[in-house]
Amino acid sequence: MLMIDDSKPIFLQIAELIENGIVDGSMAEESQVPSTNEFAAFHRINPATAAKGVNLLVDSGILYKRRGIGMFVAKGARAQLVARRTEEFFEQYVKPLALEARKLGISAEQLNTMIERSSGLDPEPGTDKERSAAL
Amino acid sequence: MNDTIVEARNLIKHYKDLNALDNVNLSLSANRIYGLLGRNGAGKTTLMSILTAQAFATSGEALVFGASAYENDAVLSRICFIRESQKYPDDFQPRHAFRSAALFYKNWDQDFADRLAEDFQLPVKRRIKKLSRGQLSAVGVIIGLASRAELTFFDEPYLGLDAVARQLFYDRLVEDYAEHPRTIILSSHLIDEVANLLEHVVVIDRGRIIMDADAEDIRGSAVTVSGSADKVDAFLAGRKILHRETLGSLASVTVDEALSSRERNEALELGLELSPVSLQQLVVRKTMAGFGTTSTTGDFADDTLEARR
Amino acid sequence: MSRTMAVARMQLINKWTYLGWPLTILAASFLMSLAIFALIPVNEGKYGGGSQAPMWYFMVLGIQSMTLVFPFSQGLSISRRAFYLGTLGLFSLIALGMTGIYLLGGVIEGATNGWGVNGYFFKIPWVTDGPWYSTAAFFFIVMMFMFIIGFWFATIFKRWGSNGTLVSTLGTAVILIGLAALTTLLEWWGHVGNWMGQQTPLSISGWAALLCVALAAGSYTTLRRATP
Repeated sequence: MLMIDDSKPIFLQIAELIENGIVDGSMAEESQVPSTNEFAAFHRINPATAAKGVNLLVDSGILYKRRGIGMFVAKGARAQLVARRTEEFFEQYVKPLALEARKLGISAEQLNTMIERSSGLDPEPGTDKERSAAL
Repeated sequence: MNDTIVEARNLIKHYKDLNALDNVNLSLSANRIYGLLGRNGAGKTTLMSILTAQAFATSGEALVFGASAYENDAVLSRICFIRESQKYPDDFQPRHAFRSAALFYKNWDQDFADRLAEDFQLPVKRRIKKLSRGQLSAVGVIIGLASRAELTFFDEPYLGLDAVARQLFYDRLVEDYAEHPRTIILSSHLIDEVANLLEHVVVIDRGRIIMDADAEDIRGSAVTVSGSADKVDAFLAGRKILHRETLGSLASVTVDEALSSRERNEALELGLELSPVSLQQLVVRKTMAGFGTTSTTGDFADDTLEARR
Repeated sequence: MSRTMAVARMQLINKWTYLGWPLTILAASFLMSLAIFALIPVNEGKYGGGSQAPMWYFMVLGIQSMTLVFPFSQGLSISRRAFYLGTLGLFSLIALGMTGIYLLGGVIEGATNGWGVNGYFFKIPWVTDGPWYSTAAFFFIVMMFMFIIGFWFATIFKRWGSNGTLVSTLGTAVILIGLAALTTLLEWWGHVGNWMGQQTPLSISGWAALLCVALAAGSYTTLRRATP
């Protein structure tokens, strides 16, 4: 359930978690996100680190602060994230996929067929729910 | 926010045939959670004892809130240091110890102490002498948390506590710290358990500070590369190697450097596997590097060989 | 100053340590002595040493103050000075109260003709023969002495371990034997005997008070560098 790992700084992972929520729609635009203390308590991490992750998103315009009330998802945040993630998707997934395919001698057509085949697959049941619960 | 509240300069502590502290220089800022990590006997308790004037340095200077804590009520009243082997008056029950603490800490929160005692299922009316090791630790943990002292030390507070109770302690610590920011120094050798709570990490080994860095800077600062031995070695040539393990023609090598995304791709193209290094693994590696090749694994749980994805 | 007061209050949180036990020990010892007096079929005055029982408890209290309360006080960031003054101050008050009880007990004892059985618990030949203030001074100083000697021994132990305790015990013994040997050598026993004969309970209290002050000062100096 806990998705904090040791590969990179926790504040980046917190930022990513919030981004995930925005991208998959569980955190709607103009809705309030949990406070940094709530993030810290939930993920059992240092509150200063949680704040750093949230502030990263404030700085990039994904979240905005309402004085005395809390933190909200900005308008247009989802579109902004999807655009960035698409680029990252290519780097993180398509490239290694192509590399591994070449290693195994899988042609581009075969790869296409495989991707089509997988599009009929359901995501693991419950995954979305767990993710939004985690946030 | 970032005022220095603890300053150690050239601290040296000699025991008869032992250098408990070997020229320690350290500076800690207000309102952070620090991890003071190291093996048993590395000098953690000695350092904390000297900072709080419970023990005396052979030479050097220890300043807390800008002055020596020794016989200094103005400084002492802002510090709480319950040691791992804390002694209590013979006839005392936990509730007596809490009422004592209430006399000396102006921020003492009795309701919080009561809630914690309930959480830890501590029998507050049993004589402390008759408590189990875990219950004894709980008494110290409760005093440390409920005193809300500006500078609070926890000296391996988890001894005898089971996994549930330890988690309870970590949870309460984070919650209460978020509400009442203060400086916490958590001494531990169960590094994996506390790693995510820490903002800054100080590692002490045989009386010397071998690491003093922000936890977030450490995370991802080292990486383990594994694959066929010749490829791994070629890829890592000239890098700062912390640890090397081989299994037949396979090698798993930990380097004390982060890889750029270009280098990561390069490694993947070579068919090498990259895995993150936990804070605990890093501390173990650095501690053992200091010992040379004759070292043993010691007190740290060593899960380096565990395949991680 | 308020932290010194708090040290005293801290040690009264558990009422048994400084109040309950001394009174219980005194009462138990008193009742036992009374029972024994009643059983002895003699008509002349019967004296027992039972009233000294709390004194031994005070020595234990002195030891434990240093071995257990001091480390705890360090955990609560109490300065060594505040701990010392608070502890000794509290005990002085307790000793004063106990002295009052001893005096009162002596008065009742006299008025009731030895509790009706001609038995004397609080009255001790020679010691309580003088005026009331001489008796009071004697009891008070003896209590202080027992507490301080326990405290002092424990400080030595804390600071220098069992070796230190052994050395200081042996050292004290050697000095006493040396003095005795010197007295024999110089044939001064007669003078010593005369001097002893001239002492009153009040003057003995004076000498003991001096010793108390010396030991208390010694404890403090040692405590200043003691670690929990």
